[in-house]
Amino acid sequence: MHQINIGEDLRGKNREIAEENREMLKKHGIFSLNLMSAPGAGKTSLLVKSLPMITDRYRIGVIEGDIQTTRDAERVKKTGVEVYQIQTGGVCHLDAAMIHSALHSLDLDALDILFIENVGNLVCPAEFELGVDGRVMLMSITEGDDKPKKYPLMFSESRLLVFNKIDLLEHVDFDLQKAKAEAAEINPEIEIIDLSCRTGEGLENWISWIEGFYKSCRG
Amino acid sequence: MHEVSLMQNLMNVVASAAEEQGGGKVMTVHLRIGRMAGVNADSLRFAFDILSKGTVAEEGKLEIETVPLVIHCRGCSEDFNPEQFSLTCPSCGGKDMMIVTGREMEVDYILLEDEKSETG
Repeated sequence: MHQINIGEDLRGKNREIAEENREMLKKHGIFSLNLMSAPGAGKTSLLVKSLPMITDRYRIGVIEGDIQTTRDAERVKKTGVEVYQIQTGGVCHLDAAMIHSALHSLDLDALDILFIENVGNLVCPAEFELGVDGRVMLMSITEGDDKPKKYPLMFSESRLLVFNKIDLLEHVDFDLQKAKAEAAEINPEIEIIDLSCRTGEGLENWISWIEGFYKSCRG
Repeated sequence: MHEVSLMQNLMNVVASAAEEQGGGKVMTVHLRIGRMAGVNADSLRFAFDILSKGTVAEEGKLEIETVPLVIHCRGCSEDFNPEQFSLTCPSCGGKDMMIVTGREMEVDYILLEDEKSETG
């Protein structure tokens, strides 16, 4: 037998396509965010609540990733933005190739901001670059404050951590300070916003964060 | 469960590497998987068994080497092998840390069966 050295990353192909996506988005001047969380943390609710707050200033597109159904896409469509649904058919995350074909189906000249709602999952989406400007992670306070240390990769890859459902804080045993401290230990640069999609508290901070980051990326 | 799609990439990489060498059976595929890579070795083995059928690696075995998590602190220039992932230095408390190893997900090498001498 003889040995052939390879040294090739299994994510190499995904990374190449992610770079193509990045170039494509940049060429069209589109600012993009990848929203990741466990199922039920409120990614769709966050979009449904906050998109109407910025549609007067930006032309928005949303790529919805789900294993099955078009329920999320239908909810988001009601806000009047352009929605493209990806049904992964069992795959636990979105990958760069899925985004690539979605980009070919969207009218990129008609968009300023693209949100990608990843499949609800705290593990796999962190491993797959999509080619966006930033990753945002949502965590709801009904999930348990031990999640940062249990799913460190997700926290280490995100630029922003959004705590959702904070209106329920008094009803659950969730130590918000502890969760924030653990997240900051894993990723010292992570920014944090507390909000409630139900009451609307904190949504304006989320909007200012988007606009601030948009300006730093696209001038 | 993204091990299946990763394994499909692996089969493509292995098949083209073997082809570049003029073909031949792949007897071993050696992978290096970091402790923080977020993939499960058993799922990879399962995916390999299924996806290698009918390929050059059908009779091959999959070896998985686990790469430890090593984090370097730029503040105190020390390396750590923490039980739990953290980018805060356990020694000086500094935040300027980098992951040295532990995110790997790569095909290190393959072993190809030696070509049999041609007998016409």
